[in-house]
Amino acid sequence: MGMSLQQIVFGVLSIISIISALGVILSKNPVTSVLCLIVTFFTIAGHYIMLNAQFLAVVHIIVYAGAIMVLFLFVIMLMNLNAEIEPQKRSWLKYAGAISGGALLLVLLAALREASVSSLQPGAVEIGLISNLGKTLFSTYVLPFEVSSILFLSAMVGAVVIGKKEGHES
Amino acid sequence: MNELQLIPLLPFIILAMASVVTILLIAFRLSHTVIQVTGFLMMCLVVFATWYVRDTLPEEVPPLFIVDGQAALFTGVIIFCVLVIGLFSYIYFEEREENPKEYYILLFLATLGAAILTISQHFISLFIGLELLSVSLYALIAYLRNRNNAVEAGMKYLVLAALSSAFLLFGMALIYMEAGSMKFSGIAEKLPQVSSSPLFLMGLGTIVVAIGFKLALVPFHLWAADVYQGSPTPVTAFIATISKIGTFAVLLRFAQTIHLQQYPLIIAIFSVIAISSMIVGNILALRQQNLKRLLAYSSIAHFGYLLVAFLPGNEAGTEAAAFYLIAYSITLLSAFGVITLLSSREHEAETLDIYTGLIWRRPVVATILAISLFSLAGIPLTAGFLAKFFVLSAGVQQAVWLPLAVLILTSVIGLYYYLRVINTLFGTSGTADVMQKTVHPFFHVSTYITLVVLAGMLFWIGVFPGLVLQGIRLFLLLH
Repeated sequence: MGMSLQQIVFGVLSIISIISALGVILSKNPVTSVLCLIVTFFTIAGHYIMLNAQFLAVVHIIVYAGAIMVLFLFVIMLMNLNAEIEPQKRSWLKYAGAISGGALLLVLLAALREASVSSLQPGAVEIGLISNLGKTLFSTYVLPFEVSSILFLSAMVGAVVIGKKEGHES
Repeated sequence: MNELQLIPLLPFIILAMASVVTILLIAFRLSHTVIQVTGFLMMCLVVFATWYVRDTLPEEVPPLFIVDGQAALFTGVIIFCVLVIGLFSYIYFEEREENPKEYYILLFLATLGAAILTISQHFISLFIGLELLSVSLYALIAYLRNRNNAVEAGMKYLVLAALSSAFLLFGMALIYMEAGSMKFSGIAEKLPQVSSSPLFLMGLGTIVVAIGFKLALVPFHLWAADVYQGSPTPVTAFIATISKIGTFAVLLRFAQTIHLQQYPLIIAIFSVIAISSMIVGNILALRQQNLKRLLAYSSIAHFGYLLVAFLPGNEAGTEAAAFYLIAYSITLLSAFGVITLLSSREHEAETLDIYTGLIWRRPVVATILAISLFSLAGIPLTAGFLAKFFVLSAGVQQAVWLPLAVLILTSVIGLYYYLRVINTLFGTSGTADVMQKTVHPFFHVSTYITLVVLAGMLFWIGVFPGLVLQGIRLFLLLH
């Protein structure tokens, strides 16, 4: 059977991302987990590029694989996690998690099997380019853009409030 | 969009400005009192702005927002609640924290999030509004870090809210994939073709999970009691009223636009959620010894009742729901106001022991608490009774018998624990209450007056509901 280059790339990316995502949750060592997570982010960025959304891919790598992952690694190394001080989880909790997660997976799989996905409209491929994205963001979607800046303001104030030094400096 | 479309958004812009003004006031190191008064005046300004733009309604601000009568009504209730909560916050935080000022920034931002939910008609604005609300709430819940439960409550809310946001986004993506639009009306147009597709139903289901979490409906209610108990009392009042009003408003608009109630499957899902919320909420409240936890479980049950008004999907249902939310907010605000007033610097007035024989020591406060509990229980002559009555009559019109039967039965169960608290109020107690010195007589007096007015409103709405109903109808016609 003939597989186009796109399909091969897609398949490889998907397999790597699934394996590394499993690695994130199955690995015992937190640092390995985080490294697997970075690989997952990169493969997802690859998917974005295949969808012709270069800007999204670049932002994804800079923000997630760059900033957030460094933060993750810092926290993990500062906390010096290892197996001894890790709190022991009760076993029934594990089973409950596995059962409910499995049930969700089953429902999702059943839904996906039934589904018929229509193909992408040809006009839609240009939307992910940075100039189109910028135009849309600052014309049609300018209000939600502003509101999301307020969202960041609230996150910032919240972080300052929680992280403020103990005691009263005023 | 053009500048004319900005006019109906004026109240929301002022609301956003209020938080920025608060930041500036803090930067200039002004006192708590100045910030409190300025915040109060800004909220009054929002009310005036809403009044000022009422002639331009309904106005659509494509693609994300629609400012119509229903939005104005729910925004009005939200602003009313934040005015009262802001007042309660003063005496609460002045006693506890050296620096209670940042609290107001977060309070106004969270209010803005809830207000955005009331005007959103698009998944994007829904999501941004909901996140603005939750992100501010994370910090608000954990605001008093040094108290033992606060950080735990904050963490619980953070983890569960993030999880529910993930569900929400996943559901939105699935619906977008099927319907090709994230605007509610766009989804409604595509609905005949996609309504039986499994992915669409899956998407709706995951969105119900997220909304159910925000409204603390069973089986997504597990956070409610701990978070209610751990957060500062004014914040608990905020979660119980404003956060839920905003979420319910957007659920209502979504359901109205896509005519959610036509689908038997959806009706079945919401009926199950409503019935289990009513039963579980009331049963878990039965043996609670902690007033804040008791109110948490009672709020689970109350949103179950509210869903019964939501089920029929008719005009009467919407009216009943709006009336219910107004009555419920006033009731809860007065109950939490009493808790705020009785809380001391060291501990919250949350265990029932504190309330033993309160009526002999502080008769006014105890009477107000009793009135609000009567209203929660739905005793005639209070607003809560009429609210339940309108819900029942809306349900009878569409013959949703099973939820109605459960509503009546569980109301009777609910009576037990509300009356138990009232019984405690009248008990005899040996502990002589040491009257604390009030540091801020002005704010204490105004809190007192507010509480009396709230309790008076409960009676007034309970006896003469005509004016409120007329107002609700007038607003709902503007669409």
